[in-house]
Amino acid sequence: MIQTAPITTVMRALADPTRRAVFEQIVLSKEITVVELTRASTVTQGAVSQHLKALKQAGLVAERPEGRNVYYRAEPEGLAPLVDWMSHYGTFWRERFADLRSLLKEIDP
Amino acid sequence: MTETALKAETQQIVVDEVFPHAPETIWKTLTTAELMGRWLMMPAGFEPVEGKHFTYQTTPAGAWAGTIHCEVLEVKPNERLSYAWKGGHADNAGYGSPLDTIVTFTLSRAEKGTRLRLVHSGFVLPKNETAYRKMGEGWKKVVMNIGALAGRED
Repeated sequence: MIQTAPITTVMRALADPTRRAVFEQIVLSKEITVVELTRASTVTQGAVSQHLKALKQAGLVAERPEGRNVYYRAEPEGLAPLVDWMSHYGTFWRERFADLRSLLKEIDP
Repeated sequence: MTETALKAETQQIVVDEVFPHAPETIWKTLTTAELMGRWLMMPAGFEPVEGKHFTYQTTPAGAWAGTIHCEVLEVKPNERLSYAWKGGHADNAGYGSPLDTIVTFTLSRAEKGTRLRLVHSGFVLPKNETAYRKMGEGWKKVVMNIGALAGRED
């Protein structure tokens, strides 16, 4: 399993609105280059690169060099520190409801 | 941080299903310790009385012993049951991190039985207050996309 960054690092990375917009753009595309990201953004390519660096350090984004291009993609594991607890309970309650259904069938056929 | 900001940034889990049984039967499974133990968890010290404190024992994580501390907040027989659900420890991230939430069961008549709606509310994401304040609207979208990403990972 990939080592996840502490929750504060992830949060700091996503706290900046521009950086968050860059991240969301990456999430929405399967893979995207700096040039494409800059086109979709209101800031310069240099600024986008800086944001990418921060997102990479937070474990939210991974890169894949190919020829002269570098492709960026979102790393789902990067968000794990934020969603673990909640998704645990999402699964928990759905499973419990299934058990409740069986129990009710048994006690009230 | 204002109370309103806190509210807007907390997340909830909702599970809503119709069961082919009377509300009175479902109510029993929500409020009888022995029956609770058979589908949810066996509570210690539970009574369907407002203000009553009880616990559930779950899997420990780090400095947290795995005890969920609950307090009955609202009891409306065959209609509504609500209790506080607290646990976790500040040293944990993800599973076992501090939790101060509320679990509410609402029962209503449905065409072929009873609709049971569970709302587990008050998940504060994230804990870092400064970052938290700045998250604003973007957060909802991020959370929405997390679902899509998690699906892709399976």
